[in-house]
Amino acid sequence: MKNVVVIEKYYLLQAGIQALVQEIPGLFLSKSWLGDEPHLTEIILKHKPDLILVNPFSLSGENISLPGKFRSSRNTKVLALLHNKDKSQSISGFDDLLFYEEDRFILEQKIRRQAGNVQNPGTNHQELSPREITILRWIVKGLTHQEIADKLFLSIHTVNTHRKNINKKLGIKTVSGLSVYAIMNHLIPMEELAEK
Amino acid sequence: MLIHKNMKLSEVVHHDHTLVPIINRFGIHLGFGDNTITEICQKHGLNVDFFVTILNAFHDIHYFPKEQLRNFSVALLIDYLQKAHRSFLEEKIPEISLLIKNMTEKCPLDVVTSQLITNFFKEYTEELKKHIRQEEETIYPYVLLLEKVNQNLPVDEGASGKINHYSISAYKAEHEDVEEKLFDLKNILIKYLPGQKNDKPVYQLLRELFSLEKDLNEHARIEDMILIPKVEAMEKTLRNKNPNGPV
Repeated sequence: MKNVVVIEKYYLLQAGIQALVQEIPGLFLSKSWLGDEPHLTEIILKHKPDLILVNPFSLSGENISLPGKFRSSRNTKVLALLHNKDKSQSISGFDDLLFYEEDRFILEQKIRRQAGNVQNPGTNHQELSPREITILRWIVKGLTHQEIADKLFLSIHTVNTHRKNINKKLGIKTVSGLSVYAIMNHLIPMEELAEK
Repeated sequence: MLIHKNMKLSEVVHHDHTLVPIINRFGIHLGFGDNTITEICQKHGLNVDFFVTILNAFHDIHYFPKEQLRNFSVALLIDYLQKAHRSFLEEKIPEISLLIKNMTEKCPLDVVTSQLITNFFKEYTEELKKHIRQEEETIYPYVLLLEKVNQNLPVDEGASGKINHYSISAYKAEHEDVEEKLFDLKNILIKYLPGQKNDKPVYQLLRELFSLEKDLNEHARIEDMILIPKVEAMEKTLRNKNPNGPV
């Protein structure tokens, strides 16, 4: 599932964009904002969106710099929501432009194309690899990522990436949750769990 | 639907029955008759604007009160948040514990799985309690003190020192781990529950977990959208009054 957030000031337009996003399989509409909320960039970062659909003219105050914060990000694509008349203004720094006047299928195509561009390893393939299973075992035994890296002669960066993929594949983020999974699937006996 | 104070409370509940527990937090109980929200609030001595704001915030996740934001006191808000804490700890959590017990008995689940899920929820409960304790012992007293100082009410000596050494920005909702644990529990039940054939007890549990999640999200949203902006505004006023104080 790709995570989508929407920023549009006008209710009717926002409702329309939401309806469109919900029609597209594989996309999950996480949340919508009006554009004037305080600390919006930080809030949106927390949602870890794959796609941001934003009307740049809805942004006010500190939020004006929001699209720039995600520029050239491999993990997040930013699409501008615009009127045809806005074409004359210089709009740059977006991965694509969506126009309110455009046909539904064109809009859908543009959104799907950007969703496909998001680098999102391993989401369609839920089976853990043998390496991931090894790392999962160490994690639930209570080892830090650094300790695991040392044991397996990997960089800490590689271990972090493995951990992220494990979380994504299983849909479980916390160590406690991973422990439950590991025992239920007989990857590790109960006695070897980390002491709490 | 935007809830308005001239509406009948019974009509509001027909639209959204999940509001009943929220209404209860204000000491109002079913049997509303044809009374409007205003009438009911008057009878209970409640601030009607505040009551309506909370109902709307819970009913519509996109609701964001702008005008009303500054009309009610922080003390009122904190009183509500504390009542919500009580209902999490004294109602929701015990209810879910019972449903977990029910599930382990009726599904039935093997001993290890039962124990794992029971322990996982216990751990979650401890974390939630810790989080709530921290809010009630550190953050809320600070906010209440700040409101007193802002209204030029007398506070004791040590207290003003406290204000200079604390700031709400230090607390930017670290609800995260608590949220993630709840999500993990749901996903373990939905995706990974081994070899059981009776979904009903699991579904009952899941429904309560989703409801707790909604309630907690709402709670966090009220803190982030209403409490923190009010506190930040008060901190700013105070700093302008007392430019020599630490930033």
